[in-house]
Amino acid sequence: MARALWPSRMDDCATEKAIRKPSRFPGSRVTINRAPAAPPDMGNNKKKSKHSSNGHRGGGGAPVRPVERSSSGGNHSKKGKGSSNLRTYSIPDFRLEHPDFTVHQSTDKNGHVRYEVTGDLDAAVPPIRESKCLDQQQAVQIYRYMMLNRKMEMALENLYKQGKVVGGVYFGLGQEACSCASAYALDKDDWFAPMIRNQGSLLVRGFRARDTMMQYMAKADSPTHGRDGTSHFGDIEKRNMVSPISMLGDLIPVMSGVALGARLQGRNIAVMTYIGDGGQSTGVTYEGINFAAVQNLGLVLIVESNEWAYSTPSEMQYRCKDLAERAVGYGIPGVIVDGTDACQVYDAAREAVERAHRGEGPTLIEAKMMRMKGHAIHDSASYVPRPLFDFWKKRDPIARFENYLVCKKKWLTGKENAELVAEVERVIEEEREVAVNSPMPTPESAEGGVYCENGCHEIKPKYGRPKAKKGTAAYKETEAAVHLK
Amino acid sequence: MQLTYLEAIRQGIWEEMERDPTVFCLGEDIGIYGGAFKVTDGFIDRFGPERVIDTPIAESAIVGAAFGASLTGMRPVAEFQFMDFIPCAMNQISNMVAKTHYLWGAPAPLVLRGPSGGYVHGGPFHSQNPEMWFVHNPGLKVICPATPYDAKGLIKAAIRDNNPCVFFEHKYLYRRIKGEVPTDDYVVPIGKAQVAREGKDLSIITYAAMVHIAFEAAEILSEEGIDLEILDLRTVSPLDRDAIVATVKKTNKVIILHEHSRTGGLAGEITAIINEEAFDDLDGPIVRIAGLDSAIPFSPPQEHHYLPKLEDVVRESRRLKAY
Repeated sequence: MARALWPSRMDDCATEKAIRKPSRFPGSRVTINRAPAAPPDMGNNKKKSKHSSNGHRGGGGAPVRPVERSSSGGNHSKKGKGSSNLRTYSIPDFRLEHPDFTVHQSTDKNGHVRYEVTGDLDAAVPPIRESKCLDQQQAVQIYRYMMLNRKMEMALENLYKQGKVVGGVYFGLGQEACSCASAYALDKDDWFAPMIRNQGSLLVRGFRARDTMMQYMAKADSPTHGRDGTSHFGDIEKRNMVSPISMLGDLIPVMSGVALGARLQGRNIAVMTYIGDGGQSTGVTYEGINFAAVQNLGLVLIVESNEWAYSTPSEMQYRCKDLAERAVGYGIPGVIVDGTDACQVYDAAREAVERAHRGEGPTLIEAKMMRMKGHAIHDSASYVPRPLFDFWKKRDPIARFENYLVCKKKWLTGKENAELVAEVERVIEEEREVAVNSPMPTPESAEGGVYCENGCHEIKPKYGRPKAKKGTAAYKETEAAVHLK
Repeated sequence: MQLTYLEAIRQGIWEEMERDPTVFCLGEDIGIYGGAFKVTDGFIDRFGPERVIDTPIAESAIVGAAFGASLTGMRPVAEFQFMDFIPCAMNQISNMVAKTHYLWGAPAPLVLRGPSGGYVHGGPFHSQNPEMWFVHNPGLKVICPATPYDAKGLIKAAIRDNNPCVFFEHKYLYRRIKGEVPTDDYVVPIGKAQVAREGKDLSIITYAAMVHIAFEAAEILSEEGIDLEILDLRTVSPLDRDAIVATVKKTNKVIILHEHSRTGGLAGEITAIINEEAFDDLDGPIVRIAGLDSAIPFSPPQEHHYLPKLEDVVRESRRLKAY
C-alpha cells in the first residue's frame, strides 16, 4: 500500500491559521504551528544527518526540522522583521474539529470547590475522516474489535456487579477507537505494551476476551495464573506484548529497549505503547522518549489525552496547549489526531509504524478524547462537569464509526451490521462462560517462579543471532587514571 | 595470572562479549571514555558503538532499555557510574524487572553493575552500599565479590544467568588488590558462599571489602591463639543458608560484619537464619559489626568513624572468644 498520509493540501484538513497562542515568555524562540504547514513530512530528512549515535541507520537523523517556509499563511516567516531567531515547527493535526473549552476550579455559592467547564460545548459533531489507507475489510475488522472491546467491558461490569471480580474494573469507554485502530496498525513482528484502558489493543493482538476476564476474576487459568490482574500480563513468545505495571511511564524506556534488542539482531521493528495526559507527567516518560530519540528507535508513543487523570483535569497536568508539542523538544515528529476517529488513529499510527520499520525513529501521536467513566468502577466521576460528558457522548467512537461504515461508505449493510454485533455478543458470552468456570488458584500456587531456573526458559535472540562486527583492537590492561582512587 | 579486581571484572565482561554476540553494554560514559573507573576501557574499539552504548544521564531509561532488550533474548550489561545512583531507577528495578518472571513468566537476563562501597572519601553520594534494597526484592540476584578470582567468575556467571543480577563492585578493591586468575574460561556459582579461611574458634560472616579486614584481623588474632573462620558470602541474595549454618555448627560463635548501616542490615537476616536453623549450636551472642545508622560522611576522620574497622573486628573477636 502506498502511503503518503499527511495532508498535502491545506484544504484537505482542518486549518488552524497561524499561531493561536502567543508565547508566554518574551524572547521565546520556538513557535509551534499546529496547522499542517508542511507536506507529508515526519522527518524524512533528505540531508544526511551529522548525528552519529550508535546504531543509526541510513536516512535517520533529527526528524523535526524548522519549517523554512510556512504554507499556512506565511505570517510567521523565519526571516521576517525582528524575528530572525524565530523557529517554526509543524505539528500536523488531523482533527476535523478543535474542541475549544477549558476546565478550571471554581467555588460555588455554597463554598465548595468544583471543576467547571467553559467554552464551546455545542459544536457540531465532526464526520469521520477518510482514511488514506484502510480498505473495507480492514475498517470493518477494526470496527468489530471496537465492538468486542466495548461488549467485553460491559460484560466485566456485569461480572463486577455479580461479585465475581476481585478488585476494580477499568474501562476504555470512549477510547476504543484509539486502542483498537492503533494496535491494528502494527505488523506481526512488532511489539506493544498496553496501559490499563487499552484492553481493546489486546484483542486486536490476538488475546481472547477470556484472558482479560480471568485476570479480573483472579482465576487459575488467567495469563498470570492469578498472580496479577487487569491487563497486567504479557507474552514474549507469540504476541510480543510486554506486561504493564501500575506505575506510569515505565513502559516507554522498556519498549525502546525492545526496539534496541531487535536492532542489534538486524531488525527495525515498531514498538508501540501508550501514556495518558496524567502519566506523561512522570520523569521516566521523558527519559524513555529521549532515549528512543537519541538512539533513533522505532517507538510509537500514543499519548492518550483523555482529559482526566483519575480526578485531575489535564489543565492541572501540563501547561502547553497540546502534548504533541512535547515532540519538538525531543526532536521527533509529533502529530495530533482525534482519538474518537478510528481512521485518523490508524493512519497516524500506520505512518509511525512504517517510519519505525524504515529505521527513522520514534513518533509521538497525541490522541484527543475523553475518558467516559470514572478512573475505575468505584469512581462515579462526579467531579467531571456534566456538559463535558454530554459533549463527548455525541462523539462516541463506535456510533460514529458505525454510521460511517453503514451510511457513508456502505461497507456494511444494516443486516450485516446487526449480524456482526450479534456475533460479537455471542463470542463475549462464550468467553464469559469459560472465564467464570475457571477455578481459583490453589493457595500454594503463590509459591515458586521467583527465578527463572532449572531450564524453565531457553533464552535465544528473537530475530536471529546478532551479527556482531568486531574491531581489530585487542585486549589490553587499563592503567588509566580514575575517579576516587 | 595476577590481576587486579577491576581487571578481572573487565576481562570477564570482555570474554563474555567475545563469546556471545547477544551480550552488550550500556551506561553513562562507557564508550570512548571507557567508564568512570575504566572498566569498559577499549571495549568500543573492539565491539563497536552498537554494543558499547553511551546513554543519556537517565538511569530509569538505562534499566528500562536493558530490560526491554533482554525480552528479545539479548543479555545487556548496564553500568551504573556509582551504585549510589541506582535508586534513580528503583521503580524499573523493583516493580518492572524483579517481578517480571514471577508475575508473567518472562525471564530478564540482564546485569546491573557498578562500583559501591566506602573507604575512598567519596562522600554520602559516592560511597554507599545499597545492596540491601535489592535483597528485599525477590527475583533479583545480588552479588558482591571480594577477590579478583570471584569477581571474574561471578560477572561471567551473572551475564550467563537467566535472571536479573545486581553486581556490586567494591571500588576500594578495584586497584588495591591483586589475585591469581586462571586464563581458562570458568564461572563461580551464584548463591554459593565460600569458607575463605578455615578456623575453629569463631566465624566471621562477611563479604566484599570486609573480607579483607577480616583477614587482617585473623592475622593479628592468630598470634594470640584465636583462630578465626571467615565465611565469604559472595552472593547476598539468595543467601547460602547451608554455608551459614555449617560455619555456626563448626565454631559455635559468630560475628557478622558488613559495611552498610546496622539497622535493617544483612546481619539481622543472617541472625534470623541462625536462630531458625542453628540456635542450639550457639555458645555466645551473635555480634554485629556494621556501619553507623546515618548517611556516610565525607571528611576522612568522620568516614573512618562511620565504617567498620580492623580494631572493631579484633576487639569484638577477643570479647566473643572470651564469652
